[in-house]
Amino acid sequence: MTYAGLPVVIVSRCSGPKVVEVKMSSKTLLNCETSSLRHPNNRLSAHLEQLPFNYRATVLLPDCGCAPSQLDETLRSFQSFYLVRNLPLYELLDEHLGRGSVCGLSYKTRIDEDNCAFLKANGHLCLSLDKDSYELLGIEGKACKPKSSRYVVSVDLNDRSMAPGRPRYQRLFSGLTSRLPLKMEFLLAPASGDPDALQPLLSRYEWSRHTPEVSCRLLTHLSRPDPLTCDLRSYDPFDLLEWLGAVQADISCDNAADSFLSSLACPHPSAQSSQSSFLLEVRGLLLPQNIMTLVKQLSHFLERPLSPPWAAVTVHGFMDNLHVHERHFYTLVLFPDHAYSLHLATPAS
Amino acid sequence: MSVFMDLNLTFSADRSNMQQIIDTAAYLGFSTVAVNYTFEPSIKKKETVPSPKPVEDLIDQLPIVQGRSRPIRVLNRLTLVLSELSHFRPNLTEYANFDLLAVQPTTEKLFHAACTQLEVDVISVAMTEKLPFFFKRAPVNVALERGLAFEVSYTAAIRDATMRRYTIANAVSLVQACKGKNVLVSSAAMKPQELRGPYDIINLCSLMGLSDEEAKRSVSSICRSLLLHAETRKAASGVISTKKSCGEKPQQQEAPISRNTGEGDSGEGCAPAAKRLKSQLTD
Repeated sequence: MTYAGLPVVIVSRCSGPKVVEVKMSSKTLLNCETSSLRHPNNRLSAHLEQLPFNYRATVLLPDCGCAPSQLDETLRSFQSFYLVRNLPLYELLDEHLGRGSVCGLSYKTRIDEDNCAFLKANGHLCLSLDKDSYELLGIEGKACKPKSSRYVVSVDLNDRSMAPGRPRYQRLFSGLTSRLPLKMEFLLAPASGDPDALQPLLSRYEWSRHTPEVSCRLLTHLSRPDPLTCDLRSYDPFDLLEWLGAVQADISCDNAADSFLSSLACPHPSAQSSQSSFLLEVRGLLLPQNIMTLVKQLSHFLERPLSPPWAAVTVHGFMDNLHVHERHFYTLVLFPDHAYSLHLATPAS
Repeated sequence: MSVFMDLNLTFSADRSNMQQIIDTAAYLGFSTVAVNYTFEPSIKKKETVPSPKPVEDLIDQLPIVQGRSRPIRVLNRLTLVLSELSHFRPNLTEYANFDLLAVQPTTEKLFHAACTQLEVDVISVAMTEKLPFFFKRAPVNVALERGLAFEVSYTAAIRDATMRRYTIANAVSLVQACKGKNVLVSSAAMKPQELRGPYDIINLCSLMGLSDEEAKRSVSSICRSLLLHAETRKAASGVISTKKSCGEKPQQQEAPISRNTGEGDSGEGCAPAAKRLKSQLTD
């Protein structure tokens, strides 16, 4: 069976989101899932949770008759985040911190060179360590491929065995204080929205507060897929993603004969837009709940009159995140009827 | 995986040039670089081994590595271009000033000697000319056991098309001989434009027949193990551990150092072997 000429595997056909996997390379598959936000079985939130830390989200609104001031406000309402310097890792085990109220990741650490740490909103502390550090720490972890070069230690801080005073907690605490006293810069944000959750840490270490940066760009005469002749869902996913990426990166899609810089073009059939289009961008520490808020606001926005025929959201995760190689970004295309189509890369099993 | 390193930056007396090269290396993501001093010893001319310039004299300020918060580390390395075995004088005090010692053999006999006898860290293979000898498995295996690495420099391939052919041909035959193990890939950059980023080098290594894993190791883990090897080479040839025995004279025991790991294996009745802390050099 082929989908736009490429070999595919249809994963689920019955009631529920329709998922199509298209082969990108020998190690990666492009997963295209179409469903509706109103559908009870939709797995959008599960997919968003797979990328817990994101640094950038871009929204493209083609043929938009009205300025998206409401969306702008939503983006500006995202929580601020804190850069804490020289934070020792054992502080993340602090009981006063409140398990699950704070989440964040280490900053300026490379996943394939240094030791990295991630504190997820569900209370999991993940450490990605090189061989020496893993052997020094002495806590059981899993080896990543390639073997014996990188190890991941994952600890559930909400588990009863990790309560302060228990032997497992003591072992990890003594490991992080005496055997492997790591100190890193951390980007932290309150997972529940309560800024006081971070107070115990901020009072002891050097920190700086940052708010997400929001920018809005107006695009005139944007060449985009023609809504009158063809539904966006019938376009080849690779061509569509390529064109979306080109628009967001401000690359010309004219494909002029005398231009040697770019041969990217809008997928056919395309037409030039008579109205203005908007490209909103927000940069900061974005959590899955922020993205979900944005998606809900967008679906309301698309219901209004003079709204664009569709909206595309691209979310980029931090490159030095765990599971980074395949899925460090995803694209979500939203339609006025609460339908959506999610494109993300997954490792080929 | 350890940090990315480039262990061959050609030394030039021009201070601004060295500053630019090291700035470019830090920008590209290399956490450690080694400035290479080439020396061709000969009995007739009676030349003295060059002494390395201290880092403060070399450049004004160490740049911060892109994406990390620490400044780049600059080490010193000496490459001896040998044409006769008698030219190599082992354990010279001048060698102790350098963090890494490399040898570039020009004949098959010297290559064999370098692999089996000479106390060096890196065997550098000239990429820019057709090699007068073939790599034989036997001396290469001995060198691998001793912890030596074979160096491939890629800058010649950037400069010239003919050099590119020679570089790739020599590199392919080297990789076939050593089966991809202990291959060190470095630039021999004289200008900042000749440097390439670590991931680009990893991609380039696929032309030489190295797999992804081996290529990544050649710019990170192998560099780190070479620095450890150099440290053990410079250290005393044994490990002394003492144990107090109730008012009597402390007993001393010597034990041979293991080349590959750098940890001493103590004999009976001594303090148990412990993993030693990461030293400053190999951080």
